[in-house]
Amino acid sequence: MPERSDALWYKNAVIYQVHVRAFYDSNGDGIGDFGGLAQKLDYLKELGIDAIWLMPFFPSPLRDDGYDIADYLSVHPTYGTLEDFKAFLAAAHQRQIRVIMEMVLNHTSDQHPWFQESRRSQDNPRRDWYVWSDTDSRYKGVRIIFLDTEMSNWAWDPISKSYYWHRFFSHQPDLNYDNPAVREQMWEVMRFWLKLGVDAFRLDAVPYLVEREGTSCENLPETHVIIKDLRRRVDEEFPGRMLLAEANQWPADLRPYFGDGDEFHMAFHFPLMPRMFMALKLEDRKPITEILQQTPEIPPSCQWALFLRNHDELTLEMVTDLERDYMYDAYAQSKTMRLNLGIRRRLAPLLDNDRRRIELMNGMLMSLPGTPIIYYGDEIGMGDNVNLGDRNGVRTPMQWSGGWNGGFSTADPEALYSPLLLNPVYGFQAINVSSQKRTEHSLLSWMQRIIQVRKSTPPFGSGSIEFLYPANHRVLAYARQLGNETILAVNNLSSSAQAVELDLRRYKGKVLIEMFGRNLFPRIGDLPYLLTMGPYQFYWFRLRKI
Amino acid sequence: MAEESVLTDDFIRQLIDVGEVDILVGLATDNNAGTVGPILRTIQAGLLKSFPRERMVIINADGGSRDGTSELVTGASVDDMRRAYSGHTLRTLHSVSTRYAASPSSQAALRTILAAADLLRAKACAVISPESTNIEPEWIARLLRPVYHENFDLVTPIYRRHKFEGLLMRNLVYPMTRAVYGRRIREPYASEFGFSGRLGSDFLARDVWEHEGARFGREMELVIGAIAGNYRICQTYLGTKERVERQAADLVPAMRQTVAVLFSSMDTTFSFWSDTHGSQAIPTTGPESEVSLEPVRINRKRLKQMFSDGVAELEPVFSSILSPSTLSVLKHIASLGEEEFHYPAELWAKTVYEFAASYHKSVISRDHIIQALAPLYRGRIFTFLVENRSGSAEDVENNIENLCCEFERSKPYLLELCNGGK
Repeated sequence: MPERSDALWYKNAVIYQVHVRAFYDSNGDGIGDFGGLAQKLDYLKELGIDAIWLMPFFPSPLRDDGYDIADYLSVHPTYGTLEDFKAFLAAAHQRQIRVIMEMVLNHTSDQHPWFQESRRSQDNPRRDWYVWSDTDSRYKGVRIIFLDTEMSNWAWDPISKSYYWHRFFSHQPDLNYDNPAVREQMWEVMRFWLKLGVDAFRLDAVPYLVEREGTSCENLPETHVIIKDLRRRVDEEFPGRMLLAEANQWPADLRPYFGDGDEFHMAFHFPLMPRMFMALKLEDRKPITEILQQTPEIPPSCQWALFLRNHDELTLEMVTDLERDYMYDAYAQSKTMRLNLGIRRRLAPLLDNDRRRIELMNGMLMSLPGTPIIYYGDEIGMGDNVNLGDRNGVRTPMQWSGGWNGGFSTADPEALYSPLLLNPVYGFQAINVSSQKRTEHSLLSWMQRIIQVRKSTPPFGSGSIEFLYPANHRVLAYARQLGNETILAVNNLSSSAQAVELDLRRYKGKVLIEMFGRNLFPRIGDLPYLLTMGPYQFYWFRLRKI
Repeated sequence: MAEESVLTDDFIRQLIDVGEVDILVGLATDNNAGTVGPILRTIQAGLLKSFPRERMVIINADGGSRDGTSELVTGASVDDMRRAYSGHTLRTLHSVSTRYAASPSSQAALRTILAAADLLRAKACAVISPESTNIEPEWIARLLRPVYHENFDLVTPIYRRHKFEGLLMRNLVYPMTRAVYGRRIREPYASEFGFSGRLGSDFLARDVWEHEGARFGREMELVIGAIAGNYRICQTYLGTKERVERQAADLVPAMRQTVAVLFSSMDTTFSFWSDTHGSQAIPTTGPESEVSLEPVRINRKRLKQMFSDGVAELEPVFSSILSPSTLSVLKHIASLGEEEFHYPAELWAKTVYEFAASYHKSVISRDHIIQALAPLYRGRIFTFLVENRSGSAEDVENNIENLCCEFERSKPYLLELCNGGK
């Protein structure tokens, strides 16, 4: 059982994001399940992660990969039963691995019994659980998120002959959080899972909970009141549990979601991620330093969640038009790689399967302020399939071995929930866990090592950051400090070797110890500290007074 | 291969920080703090608007300014420390300054800029004058785009000028360059131009930089080198060139930078130009601009007087440069009054070619030859001013075209002179 008294566990954790369906199939039906996930916990333990973030596993028509929930208190039958989940949770806790589950507060599936009741008649007791209107002209000007598929945030319901509000797909009606009964019900849902022992929730689409005329219907004060109330209840009844916000917003707009340390514990830093890719392609640290300069301080108990890739498209909502055009040209020249305002590709293909770039990006992920989240399969460099619709191309089965179905399932290949990758570069015969476990120089082994170093270095999780701004703009350098411990991270974003002079005078007299090989580097003196770096190389140094 | 020794260690260090670039803009300064600030802002705006994705640098070769010019240049960097630009930029834009080692001269400045471009492997470069206070952001794009996007190696400007500006260019440098080298480049000696890294590196590697005799006019040599090297050349309309008040004493230095370079280049490119016949138009981009016509005051009387005095005082010099027939006609027209005075195009072309041949053969000190041409040039300008006094833009253009044709027609005479005849 994880140590419940460690209330700040999430600050130094490494989180692994996985979809039950995609990880391992234990019953041979072609779909991953909780039994399979439990069987692979030792693999995750060996990788070194501290927490698993599960994508939605509730009963659902699966028109949005489970984010269209039809029953909040159960498990989708293809993934197992509630008992299977409990067994998985216990097994994870036994290995000191925490479990973060998805909670979609904003909307349900249109197949959810609440909505079915709500649409039945205007005077149904659940009518007011959703946002209904006689016209589609309310909340004019509110942006449409899924531009590729939706024309409006209102959808006509032919049964009740009125419009309902939806910020995402039209089959996902928004719940009405102005209704106290809805708020109470959703707390009961969360309480149900917390009582089972779930360690944290990733709360989906939180900026959109409340609607008000004449506003953007995002980030409204009323939404914060709701979040504060949920947080208070969690702290009172389930101390040590964590709330993680999914809010694709600018840092300044995100800051209120931390409140005074009384709303979310964590929030995704969405604008940083595309800028890391941008900086790498531009070979210029400016996009990264600029967005982090614009990132406000957060309460000491709070933490940013950092990621390189996840189950969604690489979102380009939080970039300028100039930057978006550049990102498309740099990373998604083919239109099939683009979706909504983003790029639906995995980490390795985005980086041309260049091991040096993959390492550098992971190095920054692990050393910038925040808790890193690794998307399943990225630790072995899995590829994607842009020929699959929506975001399914980055949700293909985990590649465990070069054998039958990549070791994912014993079912017939045709029965798999998604085709496996078969191409000679990213196919399961080329990229799989089994083969990478056999060599200590594989990406998997390297990921194990960096996670280990990251976890043994508290300044990465909780320390302050100070940028060094060397004159060579292709080098991103920063010091992470916690108490007397100082870590220096130096990243060469360039495809060519670089010389860089660092102003380290404030650390004069200290010796640099490279943290992977533990080799000594010269003592810091009065002169600029000269480093030469290979293409895409990065260094982590511990600064020690000896 | 760059001649690294022309660059200081500190400048090399700065270039290491800049790294490889796509675009380089060079700015040669010497106490230009009064004008360089707005020019830098315009360069910045032009670069960031037209090349938002490219790796770029502004390189300032400074002759030792003590008025804060260098600080203004370095302050124009746009990076994550400094926001010297109001808009949003994708990249860092470096703006670095170095003091060149040699005594102030345009040669050392250009060499520094070329060496930096070579070391940074710049694909497209432009040189901007620190006196072009009316420069517009679009100038930057017009000079660089043909190189960066269309594989041209040299972009020369066409300025919008008053019909009585750029007289040396219109009456001598352009017509003779066109006739000798067969390319209709309107401004073969320009304070703004664009060039490819390939051309810059080639020119930098040439064995010309240590040659004491040619401390000026490297820009013109670059143009001639591009023609003779069969590089791809185009022209671009820029805009109004800021009028700079010139004194009579400025003429000889201006001729050294242009006419002397043109004459001198004929030594080394003989095989090329002697085999070149007629002239070719050069691809031209940008919105065309006509000459401006507003009245200006020019002391024509003084020009005529300087011509006549020159012919009288320098007759012994002219007798060793010019053919007897040419000298005789010149002496005749020098004796005419202002109303009758006329220095025809045919005679002017013949005069210039005889000077060029004498320069080629070094019949007397080459610099004396250039100095001796100055009073005759003033006589020709007198005629140009009279001929175009009330002329329209089209008339002026036709007159220049006629003069160019006269130079082209007379080219066999030049060849004959250079091949040994007098």
